[in-house]
Amino acid sequence: MQSALAELESTYFTLQNQIGLLTTACQTDAQRNDLITKFVCARSNYWSCVNKAFHDDDPEVVSLTTQLNVANAKLKVAVAQMGDIKTTLDNITQAVTIGATLAAKVITL
Amino acid sequence: MTHFRVVTPRIYRRAIAAATMLLCLLASGGCKTSDDAAAAATQLTATAKSLTDYYSALETMLTESDQLNTVQEVLYGIPYDAPTKAVIADTKAEMHKRAELAKALSELAQSFAKLTSATSSTDAANSASSLETEVESLNLTQSKLSDNERSLMKLAIGQVVTAIQEHKEREAARGIDQFTVALSNFFAKEESDYQSIGDQYAVVSHSLAVTLLQRGQTDPSGFFKVALDPYGLTPEVSDPTLKAKIGKIAEQQADQKAADLQTAQKLADAEMEKSLKTMADRIHLVATGKPMELRIPPVTVANVEKWASQFIALIPSTTTGTN
Repeated sequence: MQSALAELESTYFTLQNQIGLLTTACQTDAQRNDLITKFVCARSNYWSCVNKAFHDDDPEVVSLTTQLNVANAKLKVAVAQMGDIKTTLDNITQAVTIGATLAAKVITL
Repeated sequence: MTHFRVVTPRIYRRAIAAATMLLCLLASGGCKTSDDAAAAATQLTATAKSLTDYYSALETMLTESDQLNTVQEVLYGIPYDAPTKAVIADTKAEMHKRAELAKALSELAQSFAKLTSATSSTDAANSASSLETEVESLNLTQSKLSDNERSLMKLAIGQVVTAIQEHKEREAARGIDQFTVALSNFFAKEESDYQSIGDQYAVVSHSLAVTLLQRGQTDPSGFFKVALDPYGLTPEVSDPTLKAKIGKIAEQQADQKAADLQTAQKLADAEMEKSLKTMADRIHLVATGKPMELRIPPVTVANVEKWASQFIALIPSTTTGTN
């Protein structure tokens, strides 16, 4: 099974690695604002789960981790190809939304 | 009479010689365990020192990460949100607690090494008290350190102090044995988090460095210092073509450096875990009265020290404070 933290890390790192190109690719202020909002969310999802733990046997955590793994694979391709920015932003939204649901499952002390 | 006067001392001499040999054998047996205990304590001190440096390096990386997010805010206009800032500060404080725990363990190990000295009891009680406080303060989920494991660690510390106060070497070793095993397991459970902290530091710093290079916001003059320094000349690069060429080389160097940072930490993590396991095994030998063949600290400790030193040198003040 993939690690939940590793998947949240993957979303954040993919965006961080290409943030310069992504901001340049945005054609409107609305797209740029959307990108920034999603980036902040991805970073927050990651940090809220570092040095914490998940219930690995929780079926919802397992399912969300798998879903995020698939979304991250699509995101990596979209960001690497950097084709249509709208499609790329859709891929970002999908991964970050799943990530937020997964991060909410982290065990709080 | 003369005959008896000569023989009797010879018998005495033989008896004295035999007794001395027996005493030496007994003494060497007793001293052997003490030597092993002293060696184990010295090794544990060195390993705990490396663990302190390891956690201090993570603390430094978290300080840097906090600053990198501020740089990112300026560079891309990405807001550095307060909750993320708070989580990074909390994570840093947690790493500081672990560094303090390792420091207290190092001090306890030193008390164990001086088991027979007059001050060992007081020293042990003080360092054990610090160690207990740090174990109690760790903010962890049950999956990383259960209440039972935490209680066992505290019980082991208590056992070490009592044994040191009573100068009972093997009992003290048993307590340290239990503690080091628990610590080694705890490190292994958190290792992926430590690696992740290092990876994010490399990814974010690399991303920002490359952007600054691509935007021409770095001074490439340093590249030529190697050619000009021997002649006391100062570089002043103004040719855009030359600047672009250096920029490309600098980008490749940044790529390599980021990859090296991640690889080096992966190695340091593995080496630290290996050192802790090695130490737990060696302390176990002392605790169970078996001879310890190796008297030097685990060789892997040196690699951890080397890795940690680059971060500790970066911001010396962060190694002593939490925020």
